Amino acid sequence: MLLTLLAVSFIVFAAFEIIPGDAAVSRLGSNATKESVEALRAQMGLDRPFMIRYLSWLAGFVKGDLGTSYSYNMPVSSMILEKLPITITLTIISMILTIGVSIPLSLLIAKYAGSKFDKVSYGVNQFAMAIPSFFLGILMSWFFGMVLKWFSPGGYISYKKNFGGFLSYLILPAIAIAIPKCAMSIKLLRSAILTEAGKDYVRTAYSRGLSTMEVLYRHVLKNAMIPLITFWGMAVADMIAGSIVVEQVFNIPGLGRILLTSISNRDYPVVEAVILLIAFVVLLMNFIVDVLYRVVDPRLRKD
Amino acid sequence: MLLSVEDFGIEFHDHDKPEKVVEGVSFTLDKGEILGIVGESGSGKSMTALAIAGLLPRKKLIKEGRILFEGEDVLTMERHKLRGLQGDEICMIFQEPMTALNPTMKIGTQVEEALRIHHTDMNDAARKERALKWLKNVELEDPERVYGSYPHQLSGGMRQRVMIAAAMVGEPQLLIADEPTTALDVTVQAQIIKLLQKLNKESKIAILFISHDLSLIRQISHNVLVMQNGHLVEKGAVDDIFEHPVQEYTKKLISAIPKVEL
Ligand SMILES: Nc1ncnc2c1ncn2[C@@H]1O[C@H](COP(=O)(O)OP(=O)(O)O)[C@@H](O)[C@H]1O
Ligand SMILES: [Mg+2]
Repeated sequence: MLLTLLAVSFIVFAAFEIIPGDAAVSRLGSNATKESVEALRAQMGLDRPFMIRYLSWLAGFVKGDLGTSYSYNMPVSSMILEKLPITITLTIISMILTIGVSIPLSLLIAKYAGSKFDKVSYGVNQFAMAIPSFFLGILMSWFFGMVLKWFSPGGYISYKKNFGGFLSYLILPAIAIAIPKCAMSIKLLRSAILTEAGKDYVRTAYSRGLSTMEVLYRHVLKNAMIPLITFWGMAVADMIAGSIVVEQVFNIPGLGRILLTSISNRDYPVVEAVILLIAFVVLLMNFIVDVLYRVVDPRLRKD
Repeated sequence: MLLSVEDFGIEFHDHDKPEKVVEGVSFTLDKGEILGIVGESGSGKSMTALAIAGLLPRKKLIKEGRILFEGEDVLTMERHKLRGLQGDEICMIFQEPMTALNPTMKIGTQVEEALRIHHTDMNDAARKERALKWLKNVELEDPERVYGSYPHQLSGGMRQRVMIAAAMVGEPQLLIADEPTTALDVTVQAQIIKLLQKLNKESKIAILFISHDLSLIRQISHNVLVMQNGHLVEKGAVDDIFEHPVQEYTKKLISAIPKVEL
């Protein structure tokens, strides 16, 4: 896990070495004199060799000092701490929507497997799976913002000022993020439910006088959710990474936004920190997925 | 008379042409009776059993005749009424104890389930007490531990005992046992047969015991039905069938029993 993070941090650092552009230039503007750029580079330590800079950044990181943002002139850690709740809230809402909608819908679809309803929902689902979230986001902000005027596109309320208002601005982006994931969940869950429904224990459950809905909710659902755990875990990591684009579309100043601005400003301490955070979330989700498997499936527990 | 099957048949319509798998089967079962159904694999025993338990698929097949349980036809009964019988009056155990239990649900919850459905007046403590009583009645050691276990922690024989406890917990009138010992080894098989006999004596429960194994059928049944290719070829008291078989098919089956057993 540590090795993975180390490798990610090195690759990001190296990428900044390779791509053209310079933090000092972007800070001073392109018509600054060569001397002033050189002076600022020396002041920022950019004139040192690559490995030295990487190691000194790494030393700071290990000590908990994420460095200072070049473009905002504030500590990276406080920038991230301020933006993180926004992206996390967005991800949580998206995840609740994904799971909360896909479970009842896929049970319903599985119950009527083979019917017209099943076929129509298959078509809708394939379509929903294929639309990228950012495009959905653009459509939605145009439709709900410009046509219906339910909200002003680009508007945003800080979670510090008014948490309810903040949430209301996150609903649409969360829906945009959730729709493709939800469609994929429904597809996977439907087939897992149908596989489970053919198993012997389901017949046993029917023999006790349970109704179809009771059999599905009490017996089939938990078993059918086991193969979905990995997908949902990866969906969380994906949503955090994917927020980069969706936050841009809905003008939400979350992690995704600072990542984009920092990349164009060559503000590598910020970029490093955000990317490491995303990598950390991916690894954390892997771990949570493993734990959840054990919680849900008693056969995997050590006795 | 508890059960009366009258001219019962099943025709599958899930392939190109309809397929009759059971035809013209009639028999009766009294309270407290053990009725054996014997026949080669594919002769329609399981289909008949599932029909009585109300567990046949609802689509792509046609059911003929009547299956009267206490005078009411389970084939045409409304679903909610049928569900009222299932688990309460009619219970079933199956051939594969390894897969018949839900792998992610505790044994206790599964054993209590019929009570939860049919005896909504019982509280948690009363249900647990009843479940433990039945886990003990089926001669499981350490019922408390079994109650809190998951199926994968138990052997095949123990799981079949759990299935029996889960069936008996609602104190039904009819237990359908479809090849309940086929997947188990011989010693466990003998124990399960003894257990079923004990339950029949003590609880006066009627048992429909299905097996392709004639020696088991002879050991446990009061009366026997012989099935072949979806038809009932012979029926009668166990001694009559085994000592004076009328039909050629039955004679052939009996002569195929290994003679070594005592
Ligand atoms: N879905 C089905 N479609 C067509 N035939 C079936 C279907 N299910 C079972 N059968 C046939 O029904 C016959 C009786 O099966 P079954 O009652 O399971 O026999 P037994 O329990 O005596 O071994 C078999 O020949 C089997 O092939
Ligand atoms: Mg069978």
